[in-house]
Amino acid sequence: MDGEERKEAVPLEKTVNVRVRRYDPATDTDSRYDTFEVPVVHGMSVLDALDFIYEHLDGTLSYYDHAACNQGICKRCLIQINGETGLMCQTRVEGDVTLDPLPRFDVVKDLVTARGGETRG
Amino acid sequence: MRTRQTDVLIVGGGGAGFRAAIGAREGNASAVLASKGPLARSGASPMAGADLTCHGQGMRQAGFFGEPRDSEEKFFNDIVHQGCFLNDQHLVETYVRDGPERLLETLAWGCKPRFSDERAIFTSGTGIMDAHLREAKRLGVELLEDVAVLEITKHDGVVNGALALDIHTGELIVINCKAVVMATGGWHKAYTPVTGSKELTGDGVAMGFRAGAEVGNMEFVTFACNIPLWPPVWRGSIITYVMGIMCGGTLENADRERFLEKYDPETVSIASHTEWNKSFFSNVAAQEIRAGKGSPHGGVYYVAGDTPWEAFEARVLSSYPDWKFKGADFSDMAELFRSGEGVEVAGAAEYFEGGLCVDKHFATNVPGLYAAGECAISLFGANRVAAATMEMLVTGAIAGRAAAGFAAKQSSFASNTDHLRALIKKVEAPLGRNAGSSPGRVRAKLQRESHEKLGPVRNAEEIQDLLKFVKDTQESVLPNLAPRSKTRAYNKEWIEILELENLLKVIELSAVAAEARTESRGVHYREEFPSTDNDQWLVEIVLHEKDGATKLAKRPVSVTSLVPPSGSIPYFDMVKRMMLAHSDVGGHH
Repeated sequence: MDGEERKEAVPLEKTVNVRVRRYDPATDTDSRYDTFEVPVVHGMSVLDALDFIYEHLDGTLSYYDHAACNQGICKRCLIQINGETGLMCQTRVEGDVTLDPLPRFDVVKDLVTARGGETRG
Repeated sequence: MRTRQTDVLIVGGGGAGFRAAIGAREGNASAVLASKGPLARSGASPMAGADLTCHGQGMRQAGFFGEPRDSEEKFFNDIVHQGCFLNDQHLVETYVRDGPERLLETLAWGCKPRFSDERAIFTSGTGIMDAHLREAKRLGVELLEDVAVLEITKHDGVVNGALALDIHTGELIVINCKAVVMATGGWHKAYTPVTGSKELTGDGVAMGFRAGAEVGNMEFVTFACNIPLWPPVWRGSIITYVMGIMCGGTLENADRERFLEKYDPETVSIASHTEWNKSFFSNVAAQEIRAGKGSPHGGVYYVAGDTPWEAFEARVLSSYPDWKFKGADFSDMAELFRSGEGVEVAGAAEYFEGGLCVDKHFATNVPGLYAAGECAISLFGANRVAAATMEMLVTGAIAGRAAAGFAAKQSSFASNTDHLRALIKKVEAPLGRNAGSSPGRVRAKLQRESHEKLGPVRNAEEIQDLLKFVKDTQESVLPNLAPRSKTRAYNKEWIEILELENLLKVIELSAVAAEARTESRGVHYREEFPSTDNDQWLVEIVLHEKDGATKLAKRPVSVTSLVPPSGSIPYFDMVKRMMLAHSDVGGHH
């Protein structure tokens, strides 16, 4: 069942290593990197890769997508991609990639940072 | 756990929510707006193209080019025909009447128009949202960002509050209020691909239904046509949809047949130049895909067609400099058009006609509960051609003002601690369970099932299959889902479990209504019943919950001045008849 769903989700062309900075302020004293092997196709975004990890490899991973537009409009999926600021939904995965949360913001969990929220309760 | 108190709670951070919050403040009520996503970047509103429709006279009063021959009566006539007479005509009159005022204020609050045509100004969804965010802040609306309302509470049958989740911290928020406006949009996340944001999970419709509200027209779902399926990074963009209207082109199936040639040329021509495109092209593309003539990723090919490449590219570049559209880069799409291969496209869930049933004040049958925008039953009936952006503003303004009026008559804030305790227990239950299936994969399966079995073209067998899947998931899977992480802060799996209950409920309601409607009308096409039956089916299917069971009723459509047709008419003949009944006003609407 799992194999079938996996094949359906992403027809495999090659695999890349996605290195993700992990940090849960509730339980961790330090951050660390976790590396995941992800099958990718041409024209797949960082967000697609994270969705694959979340759905198939590690459901504890956090990245801002509960309200993501996926079209580069809401700009809430900004993170550091190989050290440069970029949108998860519009940056393509073309090889091994390292993902970090935006610098200068408090980390909520993993790649989610406390941004915006001018009148957050 | 935190507590908030306000006269009116607005649930939803898109255009309807913001306009309702402004309306509540105009009615001298205090207002809290809970936005599940980013402020003014939440829901489908910021993703709109965006056109704001208004009859030509109203356009001219606002200082724009607008069709001088146009009138309220003509716009009304056109919307009711486009809706295949399933519209509540009272609500259409409201839309036509209030449009000019909503247009003027949106401009006054800082929205910049780019150009206009006979019946619409063209701006951006983000421009409309920014204007309303500014005004809401100026009026002192309290704004909660990334806060999902999970359930509303009642006391003696009257709405008295809500339980919400701060998604960043995982903290629960109890909101005491005197009225609630639901403005949560559609349930795009039940499908893939979609043109709306991921937080659109039918929350308002599902919460309202559980609170005893009637929902109607749930079988009608508009699919935006010509939406890219591949590569994944393009999925769900409206770029090729807009190109279809602005730049021309045609559709080919996997056998490279230009299948639009099978249909009446006048119908194809009207569909190509107006927003009839959504219902018509999504339908005929689905027919090819279902006949086994689909592309590798389940679509058809959108190609430049007979338009020479240079001319096609020039048109594209005049709309999208450097092949850039909104926040995305499509420069490698050019080669697909130049080579003649084309882009794999299909219909994508875009707009949900169904929703909470409302009266002229946009009040539901539950005292204190109001609805606006896409989560309310649509004034566009069975098919939308005019703009939903104007619908959200018109309906939001009325709902917000009416909710303020209701709140003013409530003497004090009522509490309902037993109900609240039970709700908190239910919401937190998944955190206490041992890990089961992946909530993300269950949701992904629902998306594929809905796309395959409740798309533009339906039949009873597939709908029943889908209903069986939904029932099995509701009964056997959902109660056992558990997030692998027990951390409360931004716990994706926990959020998905809470959303899944709503997604499954709205798909269930939509499928029940789609199975019951044994005809084809507007965006609902049944293979076994390919005619529009005006003798049996000029009724809304209304669903409500009683003693834990879903009850179905039929209610005649609400008519003011335009008498519906009679007789049973083959679907595409009915479409053409409705197209040709359009008044002598040009433009895309």
